[in-house]
Amino acid sequence: MKQAEDEYSIIVENVNKTFNVYLDKANTIKEKLLFLFSRNKKEKRIVLEDISLKIKKGEVVALIGTNGSGKSTLLKLMTQIIYPNKGKIITKGKLTSLLELGAGFHPDFSGRENIYFNASIFGLTRKEIDERIEDIIEFSELRPFIDNPVRTYSSGMYMRLAFSVAINVDADILLIDEILSVGDEHFQNKCFEKMLELKQKGKTMIFVTHSMDSVKKLCDRAIWLYKGKIKMDGNTKEVVEEYVKETK
Amino acid sequence: MINVFKNLYKYRELLKTNVKKEIRGKYKNSFLGVLWSFLNPLLQIIVYALIFQVILKNPQENYAIFLCCGLIPWTFFSSATTRSAFTMIENGNIIKKVYFPREILPISIVTSEAVNFMISTIIILGFVIFGGIGISKYIVFYPLVLLAQYLLLIGLSLIISSISVYVRDLQHLIGVVMQLLFYATPIVYSSETIPDNFKWILYLNPMTYIINGYRDIFYNQQMIDIIPTLCLIIISIVLCFIGYIIFNKLQKGFAEQL
Repeated sequence: MKQAEDEYSIIVENVNKTFNVYLDKANTIKEKLLFLFSRNKKEKRIVLEDISLKIKKGEVVALIGTNGSGKSTLLKLMTQIIYPNKGKIITKGKLTSLLELGAGFHPDFSGRENIYFNASIFGLTRKEIDERIEDIIEFSELRPFIDNPVRTYSSGMYMRLAFSVAINVDADILLIDEILSVGDEHFQNKCFEKMLELKQKGKTMIFVTHSMDSVKKLCDRAIWLYKGKIKMDGNTKEVVEEYVKETK
Repeated sequence: MINVFKNLYKYRELLKTNVKKEIRGKYKNSFLGVLWSFLNPLLQIIVYALIFQVILKNPQENYAIFLCCGLIPWTFFSSATTRSAFTMIENGNIIKKVYFPREILPISIVTSEAVNFMISTIIILGFVIFGGIGISKYIVFYPLVLLAQYLLLIGLSLIISSISVYVRDLQHLIGVVMQLLFYATPIVYSSETIPDNFKWILYLNPMTYIINGYRDIFYNQQMIDIIPTLCLIIISIVLCFIGYIIFNKLQKGFAEQL
């Protein structure tokens, strides 16, 4: 049993997630006391219902589905930013998520300082960052600006820097949310090449994306989420074909 | 439990950069910069000395020295607890987007304040040297008292920072509580001058033992009360455990609450 589990990078077991939607959120003691008498303002919304899936080591998986189907929530659960109400999620190995690029960038610090800060959020040590800093700067193509404060960057430059840090963390599992559209076409192609390279290295990757072209080119498996449930799970080509047919 | 330390060790670089950011960020954009670390407590001592010695005629010998041994550790205590009530909300942006051990945030607040306190200790040393008291051999116990205070603050900040995410009132409440505690701690007065029927308040307050400890080292130049100090360290370690349990329970909802 133990050995069989070793093949998997991510195991999701019967996960349920509901969000409490407050029509009028109580944050203070006074409001909370008042809330005791008027509970009806709270609404439960089920985002994910009884999701179970296993992702093998080295598998590249796409999560597809319309807006609000729970893709991003599933990714957040895997990163441990939020926790499930029921069920459990096991991940093995170092995990990096690119949920939103440049989270935690400090606008007044220089690009170089932000690389250190951002990489340390991903759990790298100083030595590990020192080893990677050249690669990161090289990949971002921002060498002339690297010692300027990040607030002077354009949004494209910002994304490039953030992506370069995340991609160089050397994680075993990469979770990527809607960010294959980083920068200009030249940089996008470069990112794509890098993803393929990482795939060849045997990294586990999970994408959330609406770009069916990149899904077809990159992923071996696709999971279609619909209203918080898995509607289809299997070979990329078949799932994407079904999905495109349905949504048209 | 071992996992906690493993995780913290793994993220030590984040802890380090965060502490640096806290220290550097505190005086950013101010004219005098880090000099405020000295200037702030110094001005405070002048204000209190003016009120309690010159106007209210406190009979304490070397009152300014007496005062600074209490006021500087108090500033460490009150700013660490107050700032931990704000840290989660200030960092909400990162918490919602990246995973990292959340306890890094309160721990780096307390650690950066501890570094600040160690820098401010130079003021105490300056006072005792130029005030003619000199430095005693009991200064070897300074790290022990500091350890007691550090552990106490880690425990408290874990609790305060996690609860303040759910009950934002804590941010406003904490200022008043600190003011009350300020007068319930022998900072501007000596614990001996308090009437016997009120002394129990001081004995219940952990900061009493800490400030008396610093005062024994620098002002009275005598052996600290070692048994209460060691007891306080043990209690603080227990508090850290309890704090961590509470923190761990509450942190699961952070991203949704913020």
